[in-house]
Amino acid sequence: MKRLLTVVVVLLIIGAAGYVLLNRSDSADGKAPVLAGVSASADILARGEYLTKAADCVACHTVPGSDKPYAGGLAFKLPFGTIYSTNITADPEHGIGTWTDDQFVRAVREGIRNDGQRIYPAFPYTSYTLLSRDDVLAIKAYLFSLAPIAQADKPNELGFPFNQRWAMGFWNAVFFKSQRFVADEKQSPEWNSGAYLATALGHCGECHTPRNLGFGLKHDQALAGESLQGWRAYNITSDKEHGIGAWSDSELASYLTSGHADGHASAAGPMGEVVEYSLQHLAEPDVAALVTYLRSVPAQKGKDPITVDPQPARALASSALLPGKRDGDVASSGEKLFAGACASCHQWNGNGQQTQHAGLLGNRGVNDAEAHNVTQIILKGIDMHVGDNHIYMPGFAATYSDTEIAELANYVVAQFGNKQGKVSPAEVAERRDQ
Amino acid sequence: MLSLLVNDESRSIDVPADMPLLWVLRDVIGLTGTKFGCGIAQCGACTVHVDGQPMRSCVLPVGSVGTRAITTIEAIGKTDSGQKIQQAWLDIDVVQCGYCQSGQIMSATALLKHTANPSDADIDAAMSGNICRCGTYPRIRAAIKQAATGKHEVPQTTLTSAPANAS
Repeated sequence: MKRLLTVVVVLLIIGAAGYVLLNRSDSADGKAPVLAGVSASADILARGEYLTKAADCVACHTVPGSDKPYAGGLAFKLPFGTIYSTNITADPEHGIGTWTDDQFVRAVREGIRNDGQRIYPAFPYTSYTLLSRDDVLAIKAYLFSLAPIAQADKPNELGFPFNQRWAMGFWNAVFFKSQRFVADEKQSPEWNSGAYLATALGHCGECHTPRNLGFGLKHDQALAGESLQGWRAYNITSDKEHGIGAWSDSELASYLTSGHADGHASAAGPMGEVVEYSLQHLAEPDVAALVTYLRSVPAQKGKDPITVDPQPARALASSALLPGKRDGDVASSGEKLFAGACASCHQWNGNGQQTQHAGLLGNRGVNDAEAHNVTQIILKGIDMHVGDNHIYMPGFAATYSDTEIAELANYVVAQFGNKQGKVSPAEVAERRDQ
Repeated sequence: MLSLLVNDESRSIDVPADMPLLWVLRDVIGLTGTKFGCGIAQCGACTVHVDGQPMRSCVLPVGSVGTRAITTIEAIGKTDSGQKIQQAWLDIDVVQCGYCQSGQIMSATALLKHTANPSDADIDAAMSGNICRCGTYPRIRAAIKQAATGKHEVPQTTLTSAPANAS
């Protein structure tokens, strides 16, 4: 008995030591590489504004369409419940107005609130941990310079055991490592700036890197693509067939800053927000740095790889005004819907008019047989502002039934991606709520 | 200042580049034949030609037009296809309330120019994006065929395949 007790105690001590060891914080302040958009001599508020945009804080901490920036309340529907983003304005009661510098830095880099409670990793402290203390405090200074908004946080809707914040300590022990960004001396300064922008600030991996069963990031498959909230965050590794390896530097830069790269992609949904709120505000050399870094990400095929058909037969057989000859005499309902609702802008050959964003050819969305993003865009539309451009497509969620949207999505995939679409009405019903 | 080529006339206009072409045509230049319908490129009432291609002017930022030639309903009758379409429209008495008809005529003209003898399927594909609340679709179909062949058409109310938006 005594021996068993000893074993238990020893195991507990080892466990506790392991927990503490794995949860230890990197005590370094960290040093950020030089970014073109923020000179070191710039005013802290100007630096903070640029860094806040580069970190895209506003996208999650604001309900779209509301006039309450950074006041939180945006829902994140996850498999285990719904989490709401919080108020990070300087309001002393509902926001973070009373937080000290150390408390703010700990929250951003370690995922621990001012009251010592753990933050769920829907907030990407897993990426922000790489930020330098100076940069985090510049962000704080900027947030505190904005008008405080007295809006109470919405309570999360999580069941047991996910509502136990302390348990995130174990998740952190396994999946989180507190560490600052360390420049790679073997790489160019530009590469290091790009790496800091992509990993620490832009937190690209939070959407684009596959996750394991425990929702931890699979770092050995960085940026190989993942699905979340009904959208595919595509493979953005240097893989030529399944990633962005075949895109030119200028195409990548164009996509990042305007949301469109001819013959490759038009941003929508969550990535559209990233372009609108964050990437379009980056200085040109910083965009180039980001491109340099992305180019160096090891090629991966990724899960459910998408292969773009550069010569989709049906689109090539069509003109701007009319579709090519079809197999049967009768138009499918997908084709009829496309004729009525889509062809005037996207055109039968997929070249697109009204805006270059309407071009569909070469896009991974229309080459995905599951048509994830196509379905989401048909349901929700697009409404984004980039520079002086308003990029708009109406959503059809209220207009068409699940069956109609499934047929339309499958038609689009067949016409412009030369794939047999697999979307079912039941899947559309699911995706409506995502 | 922007320079626009509208119905073969050069116009200098002082408007923001993101103003929709439709506003410029109607409110700045005063060409009110083109109509505002839905404002989201879903009804076709605002259709004009840009370098001969039918486009929805309600969502087309004027700054993106550049030097391309704009043709509106006011001048479409000067083109060969437009003249044939408008004559067929009169012969068959297509119009009921008329609100959508400038857009219908612009789309029909573009179709006829593209395809000399359009089939029912071609008409469905090219015209479904133009909605008519009065339901003049059978007469629109007949008028397009008459304009194409020159032979008198009787509007058929029983359609083999109805446009998606008409069902």
